Amino acid sequence: MIGIIQSYGTMLLEGMGRTLLQTFLSLLFAMVIGLIFALMNVGRNRVFNLIGTFYVDAVRGVPLIVLAYFIYFGIPTAIQTIGFSDFRLSSIQAGAIALSMNCGAYMAEIIRAGIESVDKGQMEASRSLGLSYGKSMRLVILPQAIRTMIPSIINQFIITLKDTSILSVIGFTELTNVGKTIMGNTFKSLETWAIIGIMYMVVIVTLSKLAKRLERRLSRGR
Amino acid sequence: MADREVKIHVENLKKSFGKLEVLKDISMDIEEGEVVVLLGPSGSGKSTFLRCLNQLEKATGGTILVDGQCVTDHKTDINKLRENIGMVFQHFNLFPHKTVLENIMLAPVELKKMTKAEAREKGMQLLKRVGMADKAEVYPSQISGGQKQRVAIARALAMNPDVMLFDEPTSALDPEMVGEVLMVMKELAAEGMTMVVVTHEIGFAREVADRVVFMDAGYIVEQGTPEEVFNHPKEPRTIDFLNKVL
Repeated sequence: MIGIIQSYGTMLLEGMGRTLLQTFLSLLFAMVIGLIFALMNVGRNRVFNLIGTFYVDAVRGVPLIVLAYFIYFGIPTAIQTIGFSDFRLSSIQAGAIALSMNCGAYMAEIIRAGIESVDKGQMEASRSLGLSYGKSMRLVILPQAIRTMIPSIINQFIITLKDTSILSVIGFTELTNVGKTIMGNTFKSLETWAIIGIMYMVVIVTLSKLAKRLERRLSRGR
Repeated sequence: MADREVKIHVENLKKSFGKLEVLKDISMDIEEGEVVVLLGPSGSGKSTFLRCLNQLEKATGGTILVDGQCVTDHKTDINKLRENIGMVFQHFNLFPHKTVLENIMLAPVELKKMTKAEAREKGMQLLKRVGMADKAEVYPSQISGGQKQRVAIARALAMNPDVMLFDEPTSALDPEMVGEVLMVMKELAAEGMTMVVVTHEIGFAREVADRVVFMDAGYIVEQGTPEEVFNHPKEPRTIDFLNKVL
């Protein structure tokens, strides 16, 4: 075990770094995607409702691994056939898109539930003062919704971090993929996967502890 | 009182929720500075009527004019119109993530009616008026129901409305807190504010109302001065209702 850490330590840390980078990037995009589709879903516009529901159902209905294959192999092929013959997606790009889309769908549901948890009287009071729907949403509803959303967002964050391992199938050299390489070189499967597992666990536990602290601080300011 | 201007004109107002017809045919004029109290059993449509006036409920039929402007018309800028119509709710609906003062400052600042400094000054002035100046920096969760409602009134007044709508403002309050809220409303009425009030406080209606409107099952059954409606009701339904509440 010591031997693996000595010879592959840098590689493992780099893999972890890419895992974290991918997670944060995807989460950031997912927040934006989630907010857009959540707002489509809570509004009264039927067309937007339909689009929002379709997106969430479609993405949640497809396993992430299939979505990753579809975007990494399927989309570039399609774009190449319509004339852009040197179009390619790197595994990082495809991975980020797949993970953001996937996480975005769950985020949309988290945000929608958060918005709907805010008492209806809040929107009415805000509108009665002459504030528009958009301003009411931004200034009155969302700041309250975010508090109920935080635990679910932390949970989703952890799921997304673990889901980056699925991206190893399209060749993205995140932590799990590094593990495969080490395994291939050393044939020490028990040690390798134990190290990888512990690394995930340490990072996730640390981050969720930090998040809990943040959550507590936020709810205290009430 | 006869030559006052008509502030709100309602004609053949109808409102249905799906198959349920809540307002069947309501017509009335409310004059500037008039205090109208809406009375009636629950389900009679009085709250719905009030909420139609600022279009929190979209009318199904009929016309509402406020200052000659058609509220029910799609082309009317409803947000602009609502700036002039304050509303106070049964459950206060203060914004819990903002302090008392911030609650009051939000709309005037966001709608560019005042600078932050002006809104702060106006806010403090209003808080003083409702006796809540010492709670300016406190969050709504830290004050009592009666205090919340007084803040809610101040918040509605911050936009300098010329009509105030009250939707059962004392119904969610502990009995000993009703008085402080009614006091603020009385002062407001004395200053000449046009007010439409849905309430079960008969005492307040007797003392403050220029006109009492009794509603039942989506219609106006009877209306007149408090003296006429309370002491000499004509309609059997009004008599029946008053017998139960007086």
